[in-house]
Amino acid sequence: MTTIQHPVHPSVDDPSHALHAESDEEFRLRLRAFLTSGGPGPRPRDPRERVAWTKAWHRNLYDAGYAGPSFPQEVGGMDLPFGRQVIYQEEIARAKVPGALGTGLGIVAPTIIRYGTEVQKQTWVRAMLRHDEVWCQGYSEPGAGSDLPSLRTTARREGSGEDEVYVVNGQKVWTSSGILADTLFCLVRTGSQESRQKGITYLIIDAKAPGVTIRPLKDLNGGTIFAEVFLDDVRVPVANRIGEENSGWALVRTSLGHERAAGSMNQAARYRRVLDELIQLAQERGLTSDPLIRDQLADFDIRVRLMRFNAERIIAGILERGEPGPTSSVSRLMLTTFEQELHEFAVDMLGPDGLVTKASDAAVQRARWLSGFLTSRAATIGAGTAEIQRNTIAEQVLRLPHDPAMPPR
Amino acid sequence: MSGQAEELQELREVTRRFLADKASISDTRRVVESGRSCDEAVWKQMAEQIGLQGIAVPEQFGGAGMGPVELGVVCEELGRTLYAGPFFATVVMAAQALVAADDVEAAERWLPGIVEGALTGTLAVADLTGEIDPEKVLTTAEPDGEGGWRLTGSKRFVVDGCSADLILAAALVEGEVGLFGIDGDAAGLTREPLAQLDPTRALAVLTFEATPAQRVATDAAAVLGRVRDLVSAHLAAEQAGGAAAALEMAVEYAKVREQFGRPIGSFQAIKHMCADRLLDVESARNAASAAAALLADHDPEASLTASAAAAWAGPAFTRVAKDNIQIHGGIGFTWEHDAHYFLKRAKSSEVLFGSPAHHRARVADLAGI
Ligand SMILES: Cc1cc2nc3c(=O)[nH]c(=O)nc-3n(C[C@H](O)[C@H](O)[C@H](O)COP(=O)(O)OP(=O)(O)OC[C@H]3O[C@@H](n4cnc5c(N)ncnc54)[C@H](O)[C@@H]3O)c2cc1C
Repeated sequence: MTTIQHPVHPSVDDPSHALHAESDEEFRLRLRAFLTSGGPGPRPRDPRERVAWTKAWHRNLYDAGYAGPSFPQEVGGMDLPFGRQVIYQEEIARAKVPGALGTGLGIVAPTIIRYGTEVQKQTWVRAMLRHDEVWCQGYSEPGAGSDLPSLRTTARREGSGEDEVYVVNGQKVWTSSGILADTLFCLVRTGSQESRQKGITYLIIDAKAPGVTIRPLKDLNGGTIFAEVFLDDVRVPVANRIGEENSGWALVRTSLGHERAAGSMNQAARYRRVLDELIQLAQERGLTSDPLIRDQLADFDIRVRLMRFNAERIIAGILERGEPGPTSSVSRLMLTTFEQELHEFAVDMLGPDGLVTKASDAAVQRARWLSGFLTSRAATIGAGTAEIQRNTIAEQVLRLPHDPAMPPR
Repeated sequence: MSGQAEELQELREVTRRFLADKASISDTRRVVESGRSCDEAVWKQMAEQIGLQGIAVPEQFGGAGMGPVELGVVCEELGRTLYAGPFFATVVMAAQALVAADDVEAAERWLPGIVEGALTGTLAVADLTGEIDPEKVLTTAEPDGEGGWRLTGSKRFVVDGCSADLILAAALVEGEVGLFGIDGDAAGLTREPLAQLDPTRALAVLTFEATPAQRVATDAAAVLGRVRDLVSAHLAAEQAGGAAAALEMAVEYAKVREQFGRPIGSFQAIKHMCADRLLDVESARNAASAAAALLADHDPEASLTASAAAAWAGPAFTRVAKDNIQIHGGIGFTWEHDAHYFLKRAKSSEVLFGSPAHHRARVADLAGI
């Protein structure tokens, strides 16, 4: 983890100045010009080189003042109004530039911006934005997934004054991009086990610190999407705590404005592209003359359109009323089911050819549909399972009563 | 909120208030159980007090000059109470056919009456299936020698066919489809009610035997194409409204009904059904309003979107209506409870103007799949 340093200032073309003077369309074109002329160049095939290439691109983006569309300018972000964030996301998707590494920007950065000290904001958020560090999420544990408040990784205070530390012991698991981690943002237990969410603290842990062991986990598709993390007497400075001791749980669901909603059109656009490619494949193989296949493809086509309308409704809600409305709570259910069903359909549609893996030259389109079929299993597990999500929709949107057999929220 | 969003919200509220007062689901029930298909007094008041019949009729014919977006909102609200009356047939089907046609004389003859609530209408296209499909017209028309026409044939599944004052019917003239206006009490017209699933929407079989008719001078195929899309989009709006109301019923019941010492809404099986149905409702509503907006702009994607909305909203409403009954348990299976009206409306409107599979095929055609 980097030590505290002077904040880096975006060097050229500070968007804040231009913001008021230029029109939305001018903003779009300026961004597009940057993304095309200053683009990252061809994608390396070697995974290691690809990581370096991705980091270089994000550093470039940050230095030019084009990182963190929803983040405040004080921490190196662009602080764009929502309408511009939508444009930003559209252009990023259009340019097909590599996405961020790690999971910090979407999850912990908003928490730090909202609850962190000035030093934390300046150091950590900038480091994440500039990809000087890759941040990964250490919430889940072998015994605590959906029931996160039951987590057992402990943090015990030791020493005093400047030297006061938390000594952390436990295990985290399913840490996405864990093998790339420079920094882990973790939930740890500082209260009693029975205190559940009232005894949880938010800690930032240097992934290179003594006592931290990160081991890749092989996922069902043969890759290493996630890792497991062992924490043995890891000494973490108290200054690395976000918020107060035992009040970490309240920080967990911080989001920053509606950044996710700003990208919802892109999700729809991305599935549009994927579906178009599948339709083309079906046509090339003469399969669309089969009325059942055609019916299914039309059904997917309709659902992709609905995703776009849902996204439009969410965005219009934010622009008109400042809140995204109930559509935003259900749209993820739509996306995840779609992703799973589409890929499975593709495999079925291809018949035995669909079973050939990318290790063989005979694979159809490098087996993308087959990998999609496997990988999309995670769509209804990671970031909260579909079941938990339905519980949340039922209780928080429809206001159905909490299950009394469950611990209080 | 933008000006348009505010106006739509106001239209929604005015409509909802009127319906709560005069045409709630209990009123629907009252009308239907008394063996009628409409409360004429309420129909009149709807025109006189809030002008819903004329909302999407041009000002030159007495209407408010708005379009599909506003009409969609009204249909959604009417769908919430399963409004039993000639709105869909008169205002969406017949009036929109006259608005789309470029026969000013015909428009002047009939539209002002519709706007005032004095005239009801319907539209009959496919002879056998009730679809608005100019390719499926078998009825024929011949000139009567005095400037009028005579129709011969029959139409099934005509919405409000027994009560409509004006029947707009498609008929073939030397193999080309034309559009004709027929008085409800014309000679040679037989109208028989069709016993069918949905008591809140009357259907009829019409038989024409050299029935006198006036021709609507227009490109009938183009007009019917437009009306087909409007019907798909507005029916989807109506379905979204019905689905939203049925889901609200289910959720409200789940909060108060207790079993095993706790509200059934605290059981996850119930919660998950409701959450999934919320996805159905929200997506149906958003699709219907997207289709209406594209139709208002005569956007090239409008037809496809209208069919997409129809293909989604029909099954979505049916799913919600079924789960509503399931969540209510035994009481949901009783005649006394309103839940069955929603199921009947849902299933009937899902298939009435073309099945979901039909709409998917249309999407496939239009999207080039
Ligand atoms: C690809 C991937 C990446 C991930 N990345 C990260 C990461 O970076 N950092 C991190 O901290 N975690 C990560 N996770 C973990 C993820 O958040 C958990 O897997 C998830 O929360 C579920 O927890 P679990 O695996 O322990 O399953 P469990 O909670 O044991 O769930 C098992 C099954 O029981 C169901 N279930 C559990 N409780 C209930 C309930 N109350 N009602 C109904 N059903 C219930 C679940 O829905 C599921 O079907 C990742 C997971 C995956 C698959």
